[in-house]
Amino acid sequence: MIRQIVYREILENLLSLRFILSLLLAISLFATAGFVFVAKYRKESQDYWKETNENLSSLSEQTKRLCDVVRYRQTVYRKPKSLALCTEGFEKYLPNSFRFSVFSMYIPQARSRGNFDLGRFSDIDLVFITSLILSFVALIFTYDIICGEKEAGTLRLMLAASIHRHKILLGKYIGAILTLGIPMLLGLLVNLLIVISSREVMISAGDWLKILTIVLLSFLYLSIFVLLGMFVSSRTAHSANSMVVLLLVWVGVVILIPSFGRIISDAARQSPTEAELQRRLTEADKQIEDDCTSGKFGRNAGMFSSDPEKCNPPATARWTNARREAYNQVYEDHLNKMMVPVTFGRSFTRLSPTVLYQCASEVIAGTGINRFKSLYQQVKRYQQDLKEYIRSKDAEDSESLHLLCDHGQAIRDWGVISKKPVSFDAVPKFQERNLGLGQSLQLAIWDIGLLALFNMVFFAASFVSFLRYDVR
Amino acid sequence: MTFKFAVGTVVCVVLTAVFMPILARDYQRRLEDYNENVAANEAELRKVKVYKNIRPTAYRAPNVLSVFSEGLEKQLGQSTEIELGGVSEISSASTGGNPFLSIFPTLDVTLILKVVMSILALLVAYNTISGEREQGTLRLVLSGMVARYQVLLGKLLAGLVTLIVPVTSAFIVGLLILQFFPMVSIAGANWTRIGLMYLASLIFVSAMYNIGLLFSCLMRRASISLVLGLFVWVVFAVVIPNGSVYLANYLRPTEAREKMDTQVRTLIEEKDNEIRDLTKTLRTGGNQGMAMGAFRGVFIVYCEKALMDDYKKKYTLSEPVEIKYADRIFEVQQQYLDGLMKQKYLARTVAQISPIAVYEDLMSALSGTNLASFEHFRNQVKLHKDEVIQYIRSKTDNFSLPSYFTQCKEEDYEEGKKWDYRKLLEQTSPLNLQDLPRFRYGPEILIKVIPRATAHILLLVFINALFFTLSFVAFLKYDVR
Repeated sequence: MIRQIVYREILENLLSLRFILSLLLAISLFATAGFVFVAKYRKESQDYWKETNENLSSLSEQTKRLCDVVRYRQTVYRKPKSLALCTEGFEKYLPNSFRFSVFSMYIPQARSRGNFDLGRFSDIDLVFITSLILSFVALIFTYDIICGEKEAGTLRLMLAASIHRHKILLGKYIGAILTLGIPMLLGLLVNLLIVISSREVMISAGDWLKILTIVLLSFLYLSIFVLLGMFVSSRTAHSANSMVVLLLVWVGVVILIPSFGRIISDAARQSPTEAELQRRLTEADKQIEDDCTSGKFGRNAGMFSSDPEKCNPPATARWTNARREAYNQVYEDHLNKMMVPVTFGRSFTRLSPTVLYQCASEVIAGTGINRFKSLYQQVKRYQQDLKEYIRSKDAEDSESLHLLCDHGQAIRDWGVISKKPVSFDAVPKFQERNLGLGQSLQLAIWDIGLLALFNMVFFAASFVSFLRYDVR
Repeated sequence: MTFKFAVGTVVCVVLTAVFMPILARDYQRRLEDYNENVAANEAELRKVKVYKNIRPTAYRAPNVLSVFSEGLEKQLGQSTEIELGGVSEISSASTGGNPFLSIFPTLDVTLILKVVMSILALLVAYNTISGEREQGTLRLVLSGMVARYQVLLGKLLAGLVTLIVPVTSAFIVGLLILQFFPMVSIAGANWTRIGLMYLASLIFVSAMYNIGLLFSCLMRRASISLVLGLFVWVVFAVVIPNGSVYLANYLRPTEAREKMDTQVRTLIEEKDNEIRDLTKTLRTGGNQGMAMGAFRGVFIVYCEKALMDDYKKKYTLSEPVEIKYADRIFEVQQQYLDGLMKQKYLARTVAQISPIAVYEDLMSALSGTNLASFEHFRNQVKLHKDEVIQYIRSKTDNFSLPSYFTQCKEEDYEEGKKWDYRKLLEQTSPLNLQDLPRFRYGPEILIKVIPRATAHILLLVFINALFFTLSFVAFLKYDVR
């Protein structure tokens, strides 16, 4: 019986104007998105390789002397990602270049072809189309799913035959989800065909699995709106009223709640300023100088003369490193403080399933703010690896004093670090590691769980409402 | 007095009542920051002891109308330093704002009006004709001696009167709440702007109503006109504003900022070389004492006479070069900015297909938060900088007087004399800078805004007329059975 209802629903929807309109809209959007994504990916890859090769070639020049590798400031760029075709996650606004040397880590900067005066806009990708357009379409499909039939008088007939109400509800639900799936999947297919046939973007097996997960997640998200539509439709007697309520809910959930993030974090006055950073740097500097004069690092720390006997190289190394550490700490604190309002705003806006869905897809696709955090951690880990490598190489050189520190004069005059050449191939290089599907699912588990919870709540609500629905 | 009308009005009023206090507090906070900054700047100016150290910062006062339309208010630079060789900064991105906050969309009264009111207008309009046909009342109406155009005009007027209520109440509630914030004061010219915004909102709502009316006249069933209307709405409200920017990025990619940065660096190098060549023979070292002055600038407490002559020559030669290069750097930046702005204008032009985007532009033009206002700020800063330079020039006879870099008198200092640094430093006193021009940033005067706004308003009026004519044509052929 259910199969018949599903069949009927699908058939009825397929022939309707709203289906044709949504199909046209979805396919044209996905197709545009495909072309623009390819062009964007090409340009970003060019920029990325140019910058990365520049960085590597300068690094290879430094390998003539080990101590130069220590002082060299590397710049790591964010690599364009093929999965950004699913969700770009506002990466264009996030810092994308990480500058560091073995001892220092600076605040990541945004270096790109960004245009600040364009205002904020979203890339048109799978998540954008699903979260804003298809959720809207879902409501248009379902606003009259119960009350429309009542108005037409067909609901009575259906119930007069001995069909259980839950079967009708289930059948209608499945029918709506399936019809909604057609524009999304067809559109995505067009999009992927365009992207793949361009031969610019490589999609690996793992990526395919992630795309599939995001598609499933999109269904989970759209199902909320289908259930919401069914709920409201079975609470109202007229489909016009049901539409009014649904539209206002949609505006609230999809547009207004996500817009709250910025203003909430602005009103909480949490972003640290540049002046604060400078002040804290000065404070850190002073602290280190005080420690130095009080002899914390040992006698004669920071004293220089060409004769190492008169000075105290280990103390100077300790002093230099302590200062670097203090700076790094200030920079990292500053970065963390900048992240606080973002996390806060995001958690607040998680009231809306749209934000939940966007966050979960970003995590799975490995883009957006989570990728930034993970990249930052990876760069720090790489910094440690490089330091270990330098330490082991330095240990092989008997002429060196084996004091790893970032002090030009100490390196030049005292030879605290080996000046022997190293092989460029053996020097570790930065490589971004992507999270596996399992790990990203773990990260997104709360968001997905909440999405499922929304589903269950609305399902229960629409079920109860329909059981008590007056079909007259 | 239908369900949709009641719900729509209540939602509009409630949303304004909820958002307005948050927006007003946000504005108040920015105003506090601004006042603090300006006061700190004044205090620093009172410490200036030599003309060389006059390096004030020009702050942009937050715009009170940004609560109505935020536009670019938060994206653009809030301040720039005025110095001889310096060039105003371009964006807040470079001045240490929090880049991570860009992932959030903006929120203002326009957002509520454009989203909620446009949906409401469509909802009011969708069943005016097709709904009456379904109920059979349309026949009755037309069987009386009423001409079709009269029916349609009547429907339009009735719809507008219904829609004026929520728009007006949202504006009144919003303005009333604003009055409760002591720091928020709305000056006379701003009232005119708010009045224009109100007018613009009405025209916009009426345009959306006319679009709904057209679909109602085209379709025989009300539910289909609703579905059509909503699809058009989602294209206007979501697809076009986003898609136009997205396409503009694709059609007219901007140059990398790094390219401009490199150009600026080369110019600075050139400048340094030129100054070095000019002042090669002049000494800067010798028997002298320096102290830290206002705006982190250094000045000379005492120095020997020969050195002072060299300094005088040096500054007379180098400062004009600094100014010349600052202007050239300004041009390079302007070129880069022009590229960005062209992209922006392309995006906005494409977006004009959607009345919602036209309305958005109109609101930000009226509240002075659009790109033109930013250019205005940049130009104001440039003018102010020229004024400050002119002031310093006139006071120091083209940088040649010692007062440009020191307070010590030429005749006091002879070769080989011993100076008491501490005592001399105490003797220095701050300059009287009462007559130094201060930076006063006001938004553009209304007269200049109106032509730009008029274009948008005319476009909206045109959309109104177009859709009404179309619906009229459709209605003339409408089968009332």
